Amino acid sequence: MRSRRPTAVSSFASVGATEGDADRIAAAERAARSRGASQSDNAFVTGVCLMTPLLAFLVFVYAVPFIGVAAWSVTLPKPGLGQYERLVTDPLVFSVFLRTFRICLIVTVLSVVAAYAIAYVWVRGTRLERRLVEFCILIPFWISILTRTFGWLALLSNRGLINTWLQAAGLIAGPLPLAYNEFSVILGITHVLVPFAVFPLASSMRSVDERVLLAARGLGASRLRTFWTVFAPMTASGVVGAALIVFVFTLGFFVTPAILGGGRSIMAAELVWLRMFQSPDWGLGAAISVALVVLVGALMAALFRLARPALMGSSG
Amino acid sequence: MIQRPGRMALLLAGLVSAFLLAPLLAVVPISFTPARFLTMPNGHLSLIHYRELIDDPDWARSILLSLRIGVVSSAIATVLALAFSLGVWMIQPRFAALMVGFVLLPMIAPPIVSAMTLYFFLTSLSGVSGAIGYDTWFGVTIAHVVMITPFAVVMTLVALAQVDRRIDLAARGLGASALQRVFKVILPNIRFGVMMAALMAFFLSWEEIGVTLFVTSVNAITLPRLMWMGVHDNIDPAVAAISVVLIVVTTLALTGRMLLQREEAA
Amino acid sequence: MNDAFERDCLEILAEKARRGGLSRRQFAQRAAIALGGAPFALRSTRARAADKQLVLVNWGGDAIKAYDQAYGQPFFKETGVAVREDGTGPTEGAIAAQFKSGKPTWDLVDADPFSAITLGKQGMIEPIDYTVVDKSKMRPGFGWDYAASTYFFSYVIAYDAQKFASDPPKGMADFFDVAKYPGKRSLYKWGAGMWEAALLADGVAPEKLYPLDLKRAHDKIAAFKANVVSYWGGGAASQQVMLSGDASMALIWSTRASILDHDSNGQIKFIWDQGLISPGALAVIKNNPGGKDAAMKFIASTSDPQRQLIMFNLLGQGPANPAADALIPPDQRKYNPVDPANFSKQVALDMPWYSENYSAALDAYTKIISA
Repeated sequence: MRSRRPTAVSSFASVGATEGDADRIAAAERAARSRGASQSDNAFVTGVCLMTPLLAFLVFVYAVPFIGVAAWSVTLPKPGLGQYERLVTDPLVFSVFLRTFRICLIVTVLSVVAAYAIAYVWVRGTRLERRLVEFCILIPFWISILTRTFGWLALLSNRGLINTWLQAAGLIAGPLPLAYNEFSVILGITHVLVPFAVFPLASSMRSVDERVLLAARGLGASRLRTFWTVFAPMTASGVVGAALIVFVFTLGFFVTPAILGGGRSIMAAELVWLRMFQSPDWGLGAAISVALVVLVGALMAALFRLARPALMGSSG
Repeated sequence: MIQRPGRMALLLAGLVSAFLLAPLLAVVPISFTPARFLTMPNGHLSLIHYRELIDDPDWARSILLSLRIGVVSSAIATVLALAFSLGVWMIQPRFAALMVGFVLLPMIAPPIVSAMTLYFFLTSLSGVSGAIGYDTWFGVTIAHVVMITPFAVVMTLVALAQVDRRIDLAARGLGASALQRVFKVILPNIRFGVMMAALMAFFLSWEEIGVTLFVTSVNAITLPRLMWMGVHDNIDPAVAAISVVLIVVTTLALTGRMLLQREEAA
Repeated sequence: MNDAFERDCLEILAEKARRGGLSRRQFAQRAAIALGGAPFALRSTRARAADKQLVLVNWGGDAIKAYDQAYGQPFFKETGVAVREDGTGPTEGAIAAQFKSGKPTWDLVDADPFSAITLGKQGMIEPIDYTVVDKSKMRPGFGWDYAASTYFFSYVIAYDAQKFASDPPKGMADFFDVAKYPGKRSLYKWGAGMWEAALLADGVAPEKLYPLDLKRAHDKIAAFKANVVSYWGGGAASQQVMLSGDASMALIWSTRASILDHDSNGQIKFIWDQGLISPGALAVIKNNPGGKDAAMKFIASTSDPQRQLIMFNLLGQGPANPAADALIPPDQRKYNPVDPANFSKQVALDMPWYSENYSAALDAYTKIISA
């Protein structure tokens, strides 16, 4: 068998390919590349048919009414870009955006790291370890976000469980301010999102080819080195997916930060709610939303470009 | 399997697990409080909130509704997302980024905006027929599908990213048609990823409140909607009781499965 | 139409006619429709249901069962029109969205009177038909074009009675005095009542409060920020912050404060002094599905003192009808915000002022508290 470098991001994914198949598949690849246009037309039509249902559905159900709502930003209260001017000069909007992106970043990093640890054990641990971790991942889903939020208050507030225990154990003199601030907001949001982040990570870890790891160890790499230089890069797509999901999800949170943050850490989602419902100014609310979509869209476009090789799959 | 998690990895995972379970320390006691609002029981324990789950038919009704909507919307979302991602992966169109961005729009836009958008859509749908629009289980399902498909798209793209294109290429070289490649080569390789996508989609629908709040009124009351109706005024500890019940059921199921598998292995 | 349904329709019509809800002509018309019914059976169930139903939107929680028990059930018995409660919370924007959709599904909303005034001026709210609704059954000064007074509650000072047992607070000045009354405070996130509280604490006389000197109020609030542990947005959160001991004093709704007083065995008490009375009201959305007439009749039915007494017992709401005050047992009168003894200690929020200025004021307030 031809030797393959352990750093090659390759895998004869799990269709039971054996060593001898390598040559046959290579030959077939060469044949396929020279096949030409006729095959690719068939694929193109199939591809388009596959993509259309979702696109059509979203255009009809979402895009059309969304444009109507977004249009408010340039039509209410009177036509023009006035709302966007207000947006740029309004100090509240700026500070809310800053706070929101900051919290999103912190939560994303914490959640992905935590979820990575859990997903790792879930996919690669012994049966007992896997079962225990699975339990811990699934349980939080059954505690509604609302219940969890008040549960955290019960744990973190001045007379809450944590402060009571710490004081009883003599570790602190007075209660620590653990609730009604950004700390509890980040804690609360992270707690909700770690289980969600586990899914894409586990998915990518599952399909890491054992034999590449074996090869690396066989060549003398330590456990840690194998992990960092071989395993982790192969889960790149999972990390990107998890980060994306967590980041965007955090943007949409508003009940948890509103309650856990003591009403002070107003985040973007709540600001939009404020402008749409509490003291309505639909033009401004729409402008804020459009700005958010554009900003996040730009971020994601950048991410997608960076991660395109990882996401679109290797081709050798 | 080589490269099992080492001690460091296990320690980290253990800490995270403890973190994930922490709210139970509050939620379980709260479910036994004799008071009418969310508070830790001071000495006295009471089962009144569990009784309420049984006595008040609204709870059972909304759990069943949430289950129904969850299963249907996650199934539809997963299929739509899978088809879309497969298409993108296979033909790698020029404006892939734009199209993926468009599909992710409901995820990126602030939930309130998505809620209003879907509200206006569903109220117009109600004009066609009162059975499928605003405040119906069908309308809620549509709204959920819109909101969760973007996440499912991300999941399926991740799953597809792990597939080595060369097996697809090989299949093509061996004469397989596009459909054959999809069903016989690609799909079997992303089975786990698709399962994860479906599971995630279900939980997203189960928890969905932002949009659900705006597309329902008095008829299609999902579980989060029922719980939300108390949030301004007085949160009923029955919500804690529900969580405990669901957790117990899940624990029994997981334990049962573990014991069964151990017997098989033995 | 099938037989049973037909019979049911006729029974209900007969009931209505008997109670005087329908003129003879209307009865004849409707009976003809019911009996000739086939084309009408094809109308969507939604439309038919709407003929016999009103959707009332309030703030959820205990209010759902309370409205049903106090107002909904009796109205159904009288008129055959079912009243269903939706606890979403009728914010100004939500009502506007309902109207803008062209086909509102909400009939009645438990809205802030100033929101009703603002929306009414934009043509989204039906003016109250005071030939059906009896204004004489409301307190003077609390009947508006677009909203009918249905209850009252106040923003009051709730305090930790154990901590301040010897010298309880007596007014807003004490609330803002952390030297004399140490500990953190909690204020209302959406501003209402808070400006008045700040101005009263700063020494402004109650008669001279309106129009509010917002600059002075905001300066005081900004200076006080460090002492506020949280700004509560809903009833549950306001209770939580007092129960957990995170705040030693809070400005909360009297309804929540009464509950805290009951349930904490006197550990948390409240005072009426310098409380801010806030009126609650019902408004009707224009083009409501259940019809203007049914909605106005419902509102008229809420003036009944006995029914308002039930609301007081269940929710602690002050009754809108002065005749109900006497019905409250003497030992409960301390929980009634509009009981003459308590009313005199408080200041009422000025709804027309809020209608003009709330948006801008809330904007500035939000900027200050979230910086």
